[in-house]
Amino acid sequence: MKSTEDVNRVMESYADMVRRICFVHLKNRHDTEDVFQNVYMKYLLYEGSFESAEHEKAWFARVTINACTDWLRALSRRKWVPLEALAEEGAVRDNPSKEVLETVLKLPEKYRDVIYLFYYEEYSAVEIAKILGKKENTVYTWLSRAKNILREKLGGEWS
Amino acid sequence: MSGTQNRIQKSMENIRASEELKQNTLRYLEMQRTGMKCSIFQRKPYIALRYAMAVICIFLLAGTGGYAVYSRPVSYISIDVNPSIELAINRFDKVVSAKGYNADGQDILQHVALKNISYVQAIDRLLQDAYYSRFLNRDSPLVLTVVSDHSDAMLEQIHANDSFQALDALTYSSDAACMNEAHLHEMSFGKYRAFLELSQYDADITVEDCHGMSMGEIQNRIKTCQGHNGKNAAEGNPAKGHQNGHSKSHGHH
Repeated sequence: MKSTEDVNRVMESYADMVRRICFVHLKNRHDTEDVFQNVYMKYLLYEGSFESAEHEKAWFARVTINACTDWLRALSRRKWVPLEALAEEGAVRDNPSKEVLETVLKLPEKYRDVIYLFYYEEYSAVEIAKILGKKENTVYTWLSRAKNILREKLGGEWS
Repeated sequence: MSGTQNRIQKSMENIRASEELKQNTLRYLEMQRTGMKCSIFQRKPYIALRYAMAVICIFLLAGTGGYAVYSRPVSYISIDVNPSIELAINRFDKVVSAKGYNADGQDILQHVALKNISYVQAIDRLLQDAYYSRFLNRDSPLVLTVVSDHSDAMLEQIHANDSFQALDALTYSSDAACMNEAHLHEMSFGKYRAFLELSQYDADITVEDCHGMSMGEIQNRIKTCQGHNGKNAAEGNPAKGHQNGHSKSHGHH
């Protein structure tokens, strides 16, 4: 079991990332809180060690994506975020880039993951493939398709 | 940083884990950590209670079942001089009850504890008792009757006892039917067996008559009758006792 110090440290380091991954998958705050806690609970119980900070961060990204997927599957909920739910999220409502965010959130789940990991967390396609447990070519394909959708939806603003 | 990347990052940079979410999660994790460090009985005291109740139930059932087995008699010994005493013996050869079938028998049991010891010990304790010994004399021999599936083995054990060997005792084995019949007449089955034997020689004798007679008197009447009836009568008696020996006696019906 991880120490209190370790838990506090990873809370400061990865809480925002975990929260964002939850955000792009889940439609409300309660689900986010539950999955957020589950991810950190998994860390608390994780017996393995991490080779580096990057390894640790990738572990959190993978575990959070899996936790979100499991959560949605378990609840048989829709795997996209309805606009009415988004309206309740202050982060979306007050966001100056609301249109971009909404468009990203309307992407299919697998595209949302690669877009987030690639553009926000600045992971390479190779790293994303490892995190998601997919082939590199698959990640390249998903990235390409996601970009096309964003370009199509956002039109001239998306260059 | 490309324009695309910049826009994506801008759209998400306001999405952060709130302090409330972080603190709630840390509290939740601490609770889980504390809970895991506690034993299951501390975390779920009702489980400890359930275990305790289960153990108590097992002990109660075992105790009740064990006591039922222990207290159930499987053999009986009737010891008759004038005091008539019956011992009920369990499968462990322990005396589980002792009953006096006349005033002398009840009096003896008032001051000689015979329960929860082996039947051999009980007989030995009885014969060693000074008050009881007063009843034992040449005119009043001790008559011991056994009802059991293994009466022969029991009688062997009894005969091996020194106190018993010192007596000119008569031993018989009888059966449950005779015992039940005797109890209907509020009489020990040893004395009732003797009554049945006597009734073969004396058709006028009744159970009520025998109630008022000591075992020695009944035995003397039998001897007297046997003398009058001669050898043929004795040969026809199926309930004949052996001094310091024993024989099957079904002297009833």
